[in-house]
Amino acid sequence: MQPLANVTPLKPAARAGAIEVKNVGQVFRGRSQDVVALEDVSFEVKPGRFVVLVGPSGCGKSTLLMMMAGLRQQTSGTITISGAPIPQPDPDRVGVVFQEASLFPWLTAEDNVEFPLALRGVPKAERRAKAQDALKLVGLDGFGKRHPHELSGGMKQRVSIARGLVQDPPVLLMDEPFAALDEQTRMTMGDELLRIWAATGKTVVFVTHSLTEAVYLADEVIVMSARPGRIVDHLQVQLPRPRTYEMLSGDAFGSLRDRIWRHIRKSA
Amino acid sequence: MSAITLRYLIVIGLIALWELLPRTGLIPELFLPSLSSTLIAGWTDAGEYGHALAVTLYEVVVSMTFACGGGILLGAIVGSLPRPRVLIMPMVSSLYAVPLVILYPVFTVWLGIGSESKIAFASIYGFLPTMLATAAGIQTIDPQLLLAARSMGATLSQRLVRVIIPAAIPTVLSGLRVGGALVIVGVVVSEMLISSAGIGYLISRYRTILDSPHVFAGVLLVLFLAIAFNAAIRWIERKAAIWQTGTRAGQANEEIASGAMQPAT
Repeated sequence: MQPLANVTPLKPAARAGAIEVKNVGQVFRGRSQDVVALEDVSFEVKPGRFVVLVGPSGCGKSTLLMMMAGLRQQTSGTITISGAPIPQPDPDRVGVVFQEASLFPWLTAEDNVEFPLALRGVPKAERRAKAQDALKLVGLDGFGKRHPHELSGGMKQRVSIARGLVQDPPVLLMDEPFAALDEQTRMTMGDELLRIWAATGKTVVFVTHSLTEAVYLADEVIVMSARPGRIVDHLQVQLPRPRTYEMLSGDAFGSLRDRIWRHIRKSA
Repeated sequence: MSAITLRYLIVIGLIALWELLPRTGLIPELFLPSLSSTLIAGWTDAGEYGHALAVTLYEVVVSMTFACGGGILLGAIVGSLPRPRVLIMPMVSSLYAVPLVILYPVFTVWLGIGSESKIAFASIYGFLPTMLATAAGIQTIDPQLLLAARSMGATLSQRLVRVIIPAAIPTVLSGLRVGGALVIVGVVVSEMLISSAGIGYLISRYRTILDSPHVFAGVLLVLFLAIAFNAAIRWIERKAAIWQTGTRAGQANEEIASGAMQPAT
């Protein structure tokens, strides 16, 4: 077993939030044959960048994200977060936001946000204060006492984001967080996420199916091919920030989206 | 008129019919004694009924402890581990279809005709649905919730206490409702078959001497017992499971409550 993160000496603070993925491969052992899910995936993310992973269904982008979260181990290669490997989940370094319905339905919004703090025995008053701050950050001030079933889909995902941020990790991983939302809510949540990202300076890795969402949100888009998942393109989105709705119909936006689409069509 | 008022009216109507039909002679008193004569019969022999109720309650409480405790424990094991599930589930499901009451005479041979045989029979009777519901409750937990807990650094025991148990509570409770009701059935039926005490015994004894008012007084007592039990479970459900609207556990719960899981008697 690899040493625990908190006993591994971390590299200088400048590395906080940096992600390095090097020659990562993943093979699923099947009954009759092995399935290569990821093959020789390498990329780097500098601290504070907003990176989006796109690719056809089953290309292993979610698997890759689970590895960065320490929820799954790669078959080969190395992944470091803030300069150290991540052999198991470490909420101090990485917060994760899942697809919808990962909130605990029996807990109120604020109890959900406090959950990771409660796991490590943070005192109640401190927990509550941090949860209030996180809820305020995501624009849910005053909704703390509601249960998830009393919140809309967009509000639920705001709570999920607050939960991912409550321990103030330098890295936030998001696995298709808006996939279940309707188009309008999705656009609003994209803007909200960019606002939160700008306010906190986190490194964000965001997995999505939507090309528009990818280009709209990202500093960099990493495009993956169908199984076995490989990186086929790593492009920089030079559009100015803040991003606006008008950019969606611009030429720069369109050509970036077309470029990603051509990759995906070729590999699917 | 609202459904609730209508429901009350129906109940009141039935009670009135119970009093009127025998009194007017439309139904012979032997088949259906009037409500008032039933109540009077129960009142005059209140001591006897009280003693019988104490015996039955004791058997019900002990059986329920065994049935629910064992059912939840084994259901949790079977629900969370695939290997025992493959071994045990087919057997339990088949057993569920067997009318277990045929085994009761065997129990009396082993344990005598006192409370022990009733407790053994009713425990097994109520154990099966409790176990099946608990296993189902644990199996239907959304894997996303467990993954999310793990991503936040939850250990195995934290996942059990903070995710698995709260997520399974609604389904387990509805299993307890079915299981507990069957415990009452098991105790009363076994008392009626072969025994020397309890409400079931009283009903059976008064029936052999054609004393209908006393029979119906016993029936009323069992009825109240069942209603009180159901009300208690509903109260706990409301307390524990305010959140379950629209969750997967909530749907499983509905299926069980609506009688998709009813046993052969």
